[in-house]
Order: sequence, then structure tokens, then C-alpha cells
Amino acid sequence: MGSVLGDWPSYDPHNFSQLRPSDPSTPSKMTPTTYQPTHNRTLPPPDQVITTETKNILLRHIYQRAEEKLRPKRAAPEHLLPEHGCKQLRASVQDTPC
Amino acid sequence: MLQNVHASYLMLCYLGSIFYLLVFRGNIILGGGASARALMFRSNNIVARIFERQIRTPPPGTSVHCARRFYENLVPSYTIYDVECPDHLFRKFTDDGQYLICFSRNHQELIVYRPTWLSFSCTEEDCDVHDLPPKAKKFDSFFTQLYCVSLASSNELICKDFFLYMESNRFGLFATSTAQIHDAPAVGGAIQGVPSIEKITFHLLRLEDGVVLDEKVFNDDFVNLAHNMGVFLYDDLLAIVSLRYQTVHILQIRDSGNLVDVRAIGAFCREDDELFLNSNAPSMGIRDKSKQHQLTENHVENGLQQSRLSPENAFVSGIKQRLLSFIFRGIWNEETNHTLRVQYLKKKFYFHFQDYIDLIIWKVQFLDRHHLLIKFGSVDGAVSRTTDHHPAFFAVYNMETTDIVAFYQNNADELYLLFEHFCDHFHTTSKNSLYMNFISSHSNNIHTREQLRSLRNKATSSSQFVKKMLASLPINSQALSPSPYFDQSLYRFDEKLISAADRHRQSTDHPIKFILRRPPQTLRFKIKPGPEGGNIDNRTKKISSFLFHPFLPFALSIQQTLFLQPSAVNVHFRR
Repeated sequence: MGSVLGDWPSYDPHNFSQLRPSDPSTPSKMTPTTYQPTHNRTLPPPDQVITTETKNILLRHIYQRAEEKLRPKRAAPEHLLPEHGCKQLRASVQDTPC
Repeated sequence: MLQNVHASYLMLCYLGSIFYLLVFRGNIILGGGASARALMFRSNNIVARIFERQIRTPPPGTSVHCARRFYENLVPSYTIYDVECPDHLFRKFTDDGQYLICFSRNHQELIVYRPTWLSFSCTEEDCDVHDLPPKAKKFDSFFTQLYCVSLASSNELICKDFFLYMESNRFGLFATSTAQIHDAPAVGGAIQGVPSIEKITFHLLRLEDGVVLDEKVFNDDFVNLAHNMGVFLYDDLLAIVSLRYQTVHILQIRDSGNLVDVRAIGAFCREDDELFLNSNAPSMGIRDKSKQHQLTENHVENGLQQSRLSPENAFVSGIKQRLLSFIFRGIWNEETNHTLRVQYLKKKFYFHFQDYIDLIIWKVQFLDRHHLLIKFGSVDGAVSRTTDHHPAFFAVYNMETTDIVAFYQNNADELYLLFEHFCDHFHTTSKNSLYMNFISSHSNNIHTREQLRSLRNKATSSSQFVKKMLASLPINSQALSPSPYFDQSLYRFDEKLISAADRHRQSTDHPIKFILRRPPQTLRFKIKPGPEGGNIDNRTKKISSFLFHPFLPFALSIQQTLFLQPSAVNVHFRR
């Protein structure tokens, strides 16, 4: 595709080849090639609102610990592995080698 | 015609070669080799750094850190010894650097100065050689007095260690109090063992012109005013701990300058608790808490010989009730087996029940607008200086839901881990003060973290170490100076002689050195308190305090002896 800069020398001959005129009638308007999705499986739900959590991370940890303690313990734990999404603080006050 | 073609051809060749050079060569400079380039261009020369700042953006998120590196170049290296200054008690610079707060020696007046800078000109060739003109070496050339306001009336004194600054509106909060009365009788709901002050007044001033906007008075009460211990400012919310009546008063500072009561947590948690309890249980004398206290100690008073289960003394209300029920529920939920539950309750709860009942609120801080971190302890430890031997507990309280969220003892590893990982969230700041995020703590600075690690490794007992670290919680409001010269990633200095905390220290004759952290790790400047030639009299103990301007290369060092002699004030600035 002919670039608007013509055949002027460039360090890498492929440098400006990704640009395409967005509108064939005005070949000087160059935009990078873009791709449109063919499906909508990855769209967010229409009523989704993304906000920052108001509680800071310290309070989040405190509440998490409190919830763990208040939940009555099962006599025999069915799951030996921690549940999903339940982050655990390091229990010991020791360094881990970086 | 041929000439024109020839000329234009030459022109094209010339332009083409320029373009070729720019693009071809430009790629080498602009492209790879970032680290090599950094080494090449990271110079300590200030001009080189300014040029670097013009052409390169710092890595994402580090623009403030890169800007602070200029404080390695601009240092308060010049000292004017023993400046002639008015005999005031210099308290501190406000955190936005606009005002210097001072109190008069008789603790009754407030004097506010505005920090300015020297202005004199030198028209000769080499000005550095010349010493400063004698006019410059005065206090007045650095500060202009704005006003002098009398805050305390005849029998009151301004508490010289208390000052809170609300940066958004430029309001200052000061406190005046009458004399302390020890061994005050415990009347009207007060607890025994805490001294009483007849009148404590909090004054809210607009610092621009010294107008007193509002006042809040506490009568026959006790608030720990030293070093802002009993009062915490978060944004526009104030938490004042009344030790004597065991209440945390939450106040809001409005933009108009009014101090508005929001709630009082202690005997009652919600605003309508008192009404509810009074209307539903008129026979219960909860107003008469002193009677309740005396009965629990099994005193026989006025012939009343009621058992411990009588309604008057078994009714615990307010935050104490929340705390006890939280502890109870925690122990109850640990075990599903009923007999074991009861056993644990007996051992862990009822055995210590009287100790839990006797706990009092020591200190409070905000964790965010709705959560308080409350430190509980015994009555003896409330006013003593060393709190190591007294058991202490921490509770996180949600003011909106009036729930206790967490309860820890002061040697709890869990709380220490939270403190270690999220120290900055304990130093709660308002949204307006960005500089607070850069005060070195072990959560945001690797050198402070290393210091903490080495302390931990050296500690003989883990539980003692945890107790010592947690003793600093809840933190004092506005206790640390935001000056970049205390930034541990810029400078290394002796923490025992000087630090960001504004406490008095032992004074030495040797100057305090500030050494660069980064290569070349040289000594950058020294701060020497006291007169230039050292002290003549080495026997008397001297204490020094330092006031650093938050962002200018300017500091005051004040050396005092303990005998009310006038202090020696030195000015350190960049000449």
C-alpha cells in the first residue's frame, strides 16, 4: 500500500506499512489497522458499573478475618484447600526469600 | 534554467540527508539502551538534572519521587548561629508551609508568622565570597509577623504541645486548659483514678487573620493534650477522647468554621440510645454510673446490700456492651460442641470478666470516616508515661453500624502483620494532603523496612517485639514532618539525634550529618544546634528541637536548657 510518505528512506521498510487510509476517498488520512470482534461473548453485562471499593485494604483484611472467625467452624473440614477467592496472609512472621 | 534545477536538486539532496540523519540516528538515541542511557545521563549536577527533566518523562507513578530528588541538590547548608529572635516558644510550621505557629512564653498568646525569604541584592562580580549583610542575619528577614492573638484568659494556659491544622480551610485548632487536679472525686459518671481539669477549651482559628471561629468547652473533664494524643483529626472529623467520662466525642469542622457535634460514643452508641433506654427502663439508674461502679466493688453504700445480679449494676451499655458481646460471640463460635463451648467461655471469658469490665478507652484514631481504632487498657495505665507493663487491647469499631469488627490483644501477631504490611493505612490522611503519602514509613520505603527487619531479627522475644511495635498504635495525629530531608530514600541521618517526629531530643555538640543514600553517598549538609563555638557550659543538660519547613530548604534548630533561659535559635537555609 502506498504510504503518504512515498518511498522516502526509512530505517525499517515496514515501519509505515500498517497504516491504511481510513477512507479510500481521502488517502492522506491514515489510521492504524484495527480489528472488530465478530462475536459478543466478551461484552460486559449492560448494567455493569465499575467503582472503587470504598473500604481501604486494611479494613478489607480486618473484615475478612472477622468473617472467618465468626463463621462457626465445621467439626471435620470437608475442603482441606482454601476456598477460591479467600486470600490468606502469611501466618508466620518470617521473611520469604525474594 | 539549468542552474535552478541544479539548485533545487542540491536542496532536495540536502533535506533528504538531514531527514535521513534524523530518522536513522534518531532511532539509536530514542530506541533501545535505556539503562545505558540512564547511567550516562544520571548526573548529580543540578543543571544536568533540569535538562534531563525537560527531555525525559519519569517512569509511571514516580513523578513525585523524581521531583523530590532535587532535594539532593538544594540543601540548607548555610547556618546563621544564634539569631536574634523574639522570645517565643516555636511550635511548628504548618504542613503547607504557610505559617509558623508560636506561643508566648507565658503560654497565653498565639503568634503566627509567615515564612518569607531573604531579599537582598549583590551587584558585584563574585557574590558568594561575601558574607551576608548583618541586616539579613535577623529573624525578621525570614519571617513576617501576621498577628498576635490572646487565647487564654487569666487562669488558663495554652497547651504548647497541642496543635492541629486543617489544611483545606487553613484552620488551626488550639487548646487551653486550667490546672490539673489530681485525685479528683469520681462523680457524675467519671471514673476513679483519672485527674480532672476544670475547663478545657478547644479554639478553632482561621489562620489567615487570627479570628477565633468557634470554641468547644469541656468542663471537669480530662483530655490528654500532650502531642495531640487525645485528639485525632481526619479530614474534617475530630475525635476527642474524654478519659474521665470515657466518651469519644466526634465533631465535624464545617467550612464555615463551626464545630458541630456528630456523636458521642461511650455510654451510648447511637444518638437515640439514651432516649430509648430512659423511656423503656425508667427504674434503671444508668445515669448514676458511679453507684454502679461502687457496687461492683462490693462496697456497702447507704445500707444497700444488693447482689451482683441486681439490675443497677448488671446493665452494661454502650461500647462496653458491644465489646463484651463481641468477645462472647467470638469464643462461642470457636467450638460447636456445647460442653466445650461452655468450658471455653468459663476459662476465657468469665474468668477475665472483671478485667474486661474494668477496661477503659485510652486512645483513639480514625481508620476511615466510619471506623475507629480504639485502644483499651486499665485505669492505671491511662495517664502514666510507660504503658509497657499494663495490658492493652485494640478494637476496630464501626461507627455507622455500631459494631466492633475486630478485637486484639497488644501482642497479637495478626495485628502486627497488618501493621507491618499496611502501615500507611494507619497513618490515615485526608484526600487533600498528598505530601503525607511520601513520609517514609516501612510500608513505602525500603530503607525503613530494612531497619524494621533488622530490629525484628535482633529482638530476643517475638511477643515483646510485637508489643513494642504495637505500642505506637493508635498513632498521634500530624506528628511527623513532611520535609523531604527526612525522606529515607534521599538521606541517611542519625535517628536518635533528629527525625521527622517533632519531639525534643538530647542535644550534642557535634553537628548532625545528612548523608546521601544514592551514590556518591557523600555528606550533603550538617545541622548544628546551639552556638557556633559549641557550648561553654557542658554540664547542664540541653535539649534541642528542630522545625523543618515542609518544602523549602529551611530549618530552625532551637536549643534550650532546662532552666527557662532563652533558647538559642539557629537558622539553616540554602544561601
